[in-house]
Amino acid sequence: MSYFRITLLRSAIGLPQKTRGVLKALGLRKRMATVYLPVSQDAAGQIMKVKELVDVAEVEQPVTKELAKAARRPDPGFYVEQKASTPVLS
Amino acid sequence: MFGPFRLTSPLSGGLLWKIPWRMSRPQKARQRARLRHVDKVVSIVDQALAKKGTTTAAVERWKAEMPVEQEMLPRDKYTIFDRKEKKYRKGIHKLPKWTRVSQRLNPPGY
Repeated sequence: MSYFRITLLRSAIGLPQKTRGVLKALGLRKRMATVYLPVSQDAAGQIMKVKELVDVAEVEQPVTKELAKAARRPDPGFYVEQKASTPVLS
Repeated sequence: MFGPFRLTSPLSGGLLWKIPWRMSRPQKARQRARLRHVDKVVSIVDQALAKKGTTTAAVERWKAEMPVEQEMLPRDKYTIFDRKEKKYRKGIHKLPKWTRVSQRLNPPGY
């Protein structure tokens, strides 16, 4: 099952209420927000209404918010050899 | 002094619009990029639906009626029909919200 990854690139400020309603229905509330919708005619019709504002890609699996955030997190630059609380076994 | 209704030369009577009559070269380049981006979105939606063996009216209508960026004439990319203008054409950058609306077709013959 494939999904549409829809990212809002341009805001709908000053656009007709119908356009803003479509974005609300898609769950896109601010710029650079991303939603994943299963590929369907319904989703396609909604995308076509706001095609000037969004970026669309077809993906196999939706990426959860947590995973997207973890992917953005930079490498900390260190790793913990051993925690202080764990006793050393001799 | 400040705020949305402050007295500025365009507001204090008289016609003084500071929109240049023609678009600059980078403006045109960005306009082409936006046109291509919309083409890309439509083609991705179309391909995704085709993989499922379906299609939808909005996509079919767009494909039937709208030219893609490469097929458009420069005069349609950068200007639109206006019956009040000399030679019936004005820059597309005079269209309200022109960077966020699709305006590709003009009356035949103009």
